[in-house]
Amino acid sequence: MSRTIPIILNQTIACAFVALICLSFSSAAMAQDTAPPQPSSDYVSRAEYDKLKAEHEAMKQELDALKATVQQMTAGAVPAPVEAPTAKKGVSEEKQVVTVPPEAATEELRQEVETLKTQVKETFPGTTKFLLGGYGTAGFTARSGEDPFFDAAFNAIFLFKMTDRLFFEGELEFEFEDNETTTNLEIAQASYLLNDYMTIGVGRFLNPTNFFVERQHMNWVNKLPDKPLAVYDGLLPESELGGQLRGVIPIGPTKLEYAAFVANAPGLITESDDFSEIGMLDFDNDANFGGHVAVGGHVGFIPIPQLEIGYGIQRSKVGPRDRAVQNILQSADFNFVADSALLKGLINARAQWVWSHVGDFVYDPDGSQGFGPLEFNNNRNGGYAQLSYRPTHIDDDYLKNVEGVFRYDRFNQLHTPVGFDEQRWTIGLNYWVTPSAVLKLAYEFDDKNGGARDQDAFLMQAAVGF
Amino acid sequence: MKRVVVRTCKWIGLPGATIVISCAALTWLIGCATNKPSGEVAAGTTGKSGAQLWAENCVRCHNIRSPGSLSPAQWEVAMMHMRVRANLTPEEHKKILEFLKSGS
Repeated sequence: MSRTIPIILNQTIACAFVALICLSFSSAAMAQDTAPPQPSSDYVSRAEYDKLKAEHEAMKQELDALKATVQQMTAGAVPAPVEAPTAKKGVSEEKQVVTVPPEAATEELRQEVETLKTQVKETFPGTTKFLLGGYGTAGFTARSGEDPFFDAAFNAIFLFKMTDRLFFEGELEFEFEDNETTTNLEIAQASYLLNDYMTIGVGRFLNPTNFFVERQHMNWVNKLPDKPLAVYDGLLPESELGGQLRGVIPIGPTKLEYAAFVANAPGLITESDDFSEIGMLDFDNDANFGGHVAVGGHVGFIPIPQLEIGYGIQRSKVGPRDRAVQNILQSADFNFVADSALLKGLINARAQWVWSHVGDFVYDPDGSQGFGPLEFNNNRNGGYAQLSYRPTHIDDDYLKNVEGVFRYDRFNQLHTPVGFDEQRWTIGLNYWVTPSAVLKLAYEFDDKNGGARDQDAFLMQAAVGF
Repeated sequence: MKRVVVRTCKWIGLPGATIVISCAALTWLIGCATNKPSGEVAAGTTGKSGAQLWAENCVRCHNIRSPGSLSPAQWEVAMMHMRVRANLTPEEHKKILEFLKSGS
């Protein structure tokens, strides 16, 4: 017992000593934290005064220039701005700069300049901001079994920003088709930003289900002179006529994109001089024959900035109202872009696969077209995978603009009225003149089964985006 | 819950169900693989400059265009277009626009 007391005493003293040291440090730290700031002085040094005076003079000159601009724009028809006396007041107070705080005078002058700037902007003819963009293309195609031909197209894109939330985009396409110049309204959409993560759009818009069409079909973006089978001008519509809700949701370090839409449903081709078209979908069903509504959407996920994967679906009834059948269109897309130091260049891998299902339908029920009655469902699918590489990191000014491309695309439709499957291997070589101007050369190896003739092709294209 | 899953799978079909499940699995795997505190490989915008976001987002679809190719007023319109088309977040939109305007 007698030995225990000194031990406890020793521990107590040690603890007290440690606590005292901690208290001393914390007191010192607090003293530093709460140390009063250096007393400010009202004294202004000569250097500070000269600096402020120079700023003051510069702003005065800017004010005079703005005044002159306003007077010129209003051409003397508008009465003198209300702020003019204030400006004089500011100038009259110039002599008091030394007696009153110079910062206050400078701030007052700055506010007057801002007011005048606003007035100048308000005299402009409108607040809508407009941009005319687009892209142009010239090409040459030599396909075995067909006459070679040149072609050209021009797409004009009109962008209007009415307010920070309201936006309109329109796109007109002009191209040669069957010895005539045709005009197509590709896009006519008004968009309104409901909030940071939701935008509503109405009109004609690119089909959100089809990633290639929405993001990569533009000729200066697409890396080969032609477009992949099934994905473009194939199993999915290029544009929709209706309304969409879309946006993006950041989830931690990743992003989730979404789009949902309602639109006119495709038409079902039940009569045609070309039997192979029977059972296909007519995506130019602007009059909405059949009166059906399509519902669809797309979700895209960006786990890392280089990668985007997505899935889209569209569902509707198609065909005459009394004999309508189910139609389901689906798409899966993949896009990867990496700037590789190891490979000294930019690598881009793209892929997309699409499926189309049209339910059982009896075509030519009364035999008047000569092939019916014929009942079948129409299931087709196809897609592509593409890899490109551009050595952007090498020192050679010409070689760094060269890009090699390889694409495999396929269209499975053997068991449909079309009667054959097709697959192609395409190798291409591009030269980028500017970031949005490219010259493309490509050779396409074609392979069809079902007795159809293979059609290899040599393709050239020049494309400019602006 | 099981009925909902079965009905959803029936509704979107076998290919759709396969893709959704594959995407979910891939998402989870990539999420695990890229869960770095530095955020260097993250798609999020926090801490990234306008120039970095410009390079990351634009190049996913097309070559990046020089800030000098359009005026600041034109970039405002072009970037609103891209915000809607390419699903940019408000922060990405703001930072990229500031970068492009400062360089134009």
